[in-house]
Amino acid sequence: MSMKSSWSIVLATLAMAGVIHIITVLVLPTFAPQNAATRLLALTETNKMLVLPAATPAHQSLPLMAPDIRYAVCRFDLRNGPVRLSTAIEEDLWVIAFYTLSGVNFYTISGGDLKRDKIDFIIAPQAEAAVEVGASILDEIEDVVVISSPEQQGIAVVRAPLPGPSYAQRTELVLSRSSCTHDISGIDRIRQ
Amino acid sequence: MRLLFTLIAMFVTALALGLGSGWYLIEQGSSLTTARIGPWSVWLAAGRPGADPYTVAHVARSGRLPITSTNAMYFFARTDSEGEQLLANCEYAISGPRLEVTWWSLAVYDLAGRLISNKAERYSFSKTDALSATDGSYRIVLSRTARAGNWLPTGEAKRLQLVLRVYGPHPWTDSSGATDASALLPEIRKLRCQ
Repeated sequence: MSMKSSWSIVLATLAMAGVIHIITVLVLPTFAPQNAATRLLALTETNKMLVLPAATPAHQSLPLMAPDIRYAVCRFDLRNGPVRLSTAIEEDLWVIAFYTLSGVNFYTISGGDLKRDKIDFIIAPQAEAAVEVGASILDEIEDVVVISSPEQQGIAVVRAPLPGPSYAQRTELVLSRSSCTHDISGIDRIRQ
Repeated sequence: MRLLFTLIAMFVTALALGLGSGWYLIEQGSSLTTARIGPWSVWLAAGRPGADPYTVAHVARSGRLPITSTNAMYFFARTDSEGEQLLANCEYAISGPRLEVTWWSLAVYDLAGRLISNKAERYSFSKTDALSATDGSYRIVLSRTARAGNWLPTGEAKRLQLVLRVYGPHPWTDSSGATDASALLPEIRKLRCQ
């Protein structure tokens, strides 16, 4: 084989490897069978809050879950209207984060930033948020934050880091009272 | 016949190179996606809208839901400060200075990301429950057998990984701040092996 043709074989192989590399990287997130959304889908109903059981060696809902954080999650679906998430905030440490199903964290707020002991979020699709539920509610009541979601479905996570092991039970109890629901009637009433 | 053989060899080589390099950059990261600070590595854009495809694939594969680095940072270590693998049959001292952050927590897992079973039911130490010196510095010992102070048991695991979670505004904000983090992240020193 001539020198020239063996070089073209090497180059062609590398080009093919490059294409395979790009396809692998781009396609993997769509087909990753064990991403967080898929795992949570198996555990919870949509538009319902679930306090994940504490991570232990025997049971972990998600890999690399923190043993000293308690998590409440809501897989929300906005196709039938906005979703309301209500939770108490026990500590400044608490963090509420909103994700798309592919794990993009599009909004995060901590208890320290909120400076209040309970909060309501209205999650609405991006296009509707500002116009329909946004400004008017915010004018009327203080404790509502409108979240505009870039996608119709997503995941909200309330994280409650424990100041110490003795806080676990109380924290789980407070989280269990948080809710996620399609019913935003209470807020509509205030608005009228 | 010879042409067919060449084509097959080319394809197999390309497949191995393409998949292998993809897997490596998704699992291990590169200087474009991850910062390495001593034994610690951090995926800078994890969870961030518009993150690069390697980070997106890494997060999807990991099954985690990370908070973006503006609000929290996750540092991973699979080696000690000398660069040697963390093994459950060795003992390590993890020591760092006071961390001026809202909260931090250091947890130990096996390589599959599972917590390690132990009789003390101790899987992590945090800013609020680790014993610290008067200057705020702390020392946590990874060991199979009980140790005085902050003892993090490694049970019957084989290889270990550590995750340091840091919540709230922190003194380093992005990749350019990586040098600042090096003085704040704990050292991992091997003490002895069984």
